[in-house]
Amino acid sequence: MGWSLENISHFIDSWLYNEFDPTIARLIEFLIIAVCVIGLFAVLGLVLILMERKVSAWMQVRLGPNRVGPGGMFQTVADTLKLIVKEGMTPLNVDKFLFNLAPFIVMIVSMVVLAPLMFAKNFQIWDINIGILFITAVSSVSVIGILMAGWASNNKYSLLGAMRSGAQIVSYELSAGLSVLCIVVLTGSLRISDIINSQANGWWLFKGHIPVIIAFVIFIIAVTAETNRAPFDLAEAESELTAGFHTEYSGMKFALFFLAEYVNVFIVCAIGATIFLGGWMPLHIGNWNGFNHAMDYIPSFLWFFGKTFLLIFVIMWFRWTFPRLRIDQLLNLEWKYLLPISMFNLLLVTVIAILKWHF
Amino acid sequence: MTASAIIFYIISAFVLGAGLLAMTTRKIFRSAIWLLFSLIGVAALYFWLQVEFIAAVQIIVYVGGIVVLIIFSIFLTQQSGKEMPRQSLQRTIASVLAVLFGFGLTFLQIWKYNFQPTGKSFNWTVSKIGSQMLNTSTGGYALPFEVVSMLLLASMVGCIVIAMKAPLATNGTADQQLLKKLDGKPEEELGITQISEV
Amino acid sequence: MAFLKNYIKEVFSAVRSSLKGMGLTGYYALHHKKEKITQQYPDNRDELILPERFRGEVVMLHDENNEHACTGCTACELACPNATIKIITKFDITPEGKKKKALDTFVYHLELCTMCNLCIEACPTDAIKMAQTFEHSVFDRNKLTKVLNKPGSKIKEGIE
Repeated sequence: MGWSLENISHFIDSWLYNEFDPTIARLIEFLIIAVCVIGLFAVLGLVLILMERKVSAWMQVRLGPNRVGPGGMFQTVADTLKLIVKEGMTPLNVDKFLFNLAPFIVMIVSMVVLAPLMFAKNFQIWDINIGILFITAVSSVSVIGILMAGWASNNKYSLLGAMRSGAQIVSYELSAGLSVLCIVVLTGSLRISDIINSQANGWWLFKGHIPVIIAFVIFIIAVTAETNRAPFDLAEAESELTAGFHTEYSGMKFALFFLAEYVNVFIVCAIGATIFLGGWMPLHIGNWNGFNHAMDYIPSFLWFFGKTFLLIFVIMWFRWTFPRLRIDQLLNLEWKYLLPISMFNLLLVTVIAILKWHF
Repeated sequence: MTASAIIFYIISAFVLGAGLLAMTTRKIFRSAIWLLFSLIGVAALYFWLQVEFIAAVQIIVYVGGIVVLIIFSIFLTQQSGKEMPRQSLQRTIASVLAVLFGFGLTFLQIWKYNFQPTGKSFNWTVSKIGSQMLNTSTGGYALPFEVVSMLLLASMVGCIVIAMKAPLATNGTADQQLLKKLDGKPEEELGITQISEV
Repeated sequence: MAFLKNYIKEVFSAVRSSLKGMGLTGYYALHHKKEKITQQYPDNRDELILPERFRGEVVMLHDENNEHACTGCTACELACPNATIKIITKFDITPEGKKKKALDTFVYHLELCTMCNLCIEACPTDAIKMAQTFEHSVFDRNKLTKVLNKPGSKIKEGIE
């Protein structure tokens, strides 16, 4: 029995159900999953923030953090310790209940969206039959957390940031959804495992001709906007709105917003890697049997995380290349360019799917 | 009582409690948030029933769409941060009575009907729903589906017509005059909306 | 039709210019070892290379005979926007028995100086210049008031 994540999870599952009553076993499994997800969040936060700082430094011909630990490896650990120690202030005239609730809403939404993702071969929290729709649906709730934070702060910058963020997320969800639909049309299923299995003979990015490549590009642009990252970071535009919707937050509550931003980046990149780049499927090229066998030896979770981090790098690349858009440019880009193109593109993909032109 | 029943009662209590708070709170934004929780609770009930598609649609339409719209309109209203005045006793009593009678009527109907469990499992996948939507034979929903899509199309066209700019001549603001001075070049060339500058 | 042509042209030019920008940052990301310009002061204090035009403080040039080129004309004092320089002059007796104006003390207030370079540009005899020293912190601000001409120094022959 190999040491893949699939086998380990199976082993734990069967052991729990042998030892305990089914209800108790299920509860214990929930607990394990919760601990794993929280652990994953913490590690992702540390790794992604360090990665962002290093990538930004390299692109700006700087060095980046290099003092704490070898090559600055423990910089984010030190930052997190600082944030934990700091006082979590609640300003006087805020709506205290909503102010304290908002960061948790944003965080919980990110956690729930993680459920249908497949991290390795047959290693998934919940194989729900509407996986991709579930992700689209639940991720639309995160805008409520941002609106709540902006409103409850009782600060005009926060309110403006929240309004912008709301307008932005609601509009870019459309083109992101339409690009996801392209793959759903080609696959004929909303279930994540079906979408991945349909890419066993090649990733959709390669199988689907130019329309899928266009869909992929639109998806990446739209999710960059949806996660409120530069060049679409109008919701927190430092030079105009100090920090947008989280101006009044400090300490751990601020850290939750910050963490949720990076986890959301991970999640959208994981979705992109799953539907366009084949999830945990290794790279196979036609009839090169030797090459294909060598690729199969790389564990599936490495494939998944490798592709996800590649996309995360691309999104960071955007951030450190382009200047911030104005609100009218942002909405023009979505409503005049991305949306019509992705609608037309969906039509093309449907034609390809019906005529079976894809490989 | 099974674990499933316990979960049902917890979710139901959550839905009802959030609904009650949405009615009784005196801050309008909080009211919208409680409504949101109530709707999420309804989605949770659908998940509990294992009709995931309906649950996801519930979240997309009600939580992601309607509640966001409500919140936006609250943002745009004046003095929405203030507490609303307390209702008079007369109104409170009347609304409590209305709720009680409404509840009594519904409860009586359900209790009288005496629902029987059929024991049939119920498994509607998304593809089944989709093919039912486009089914043109008896019992299919092709016609209503097309009618609704025409309605949506009409509203979309209406939106575009309303949002379209008035012709330059009718509007004499400084920007428009500047545009006229520049030999009626489209605003794209002035770098206002040019995507290549993005 | 013209609209559609413009639209497609815009999309393509947007993609092209975006890719161009990303190409540059991508090049930097891949070649960050070669291209990096960060000086890791104070680790590299010994081999620190400052740019040619870096301005640290005003100094007066003295040659091996302890002679400087300052005539005490006070052009630098007049040029200074925030009264950093104060020149005290004296009268030397030339061999011919004439009185001649000469520099006595060149007082320089480093704490007021903004390194604007106007005094150096104003100097008609190139007596002062900007040095590249920059570690100026001291525990007593009186130490920041400096006398630039060395004790016993005098003006070079032939400079009027």
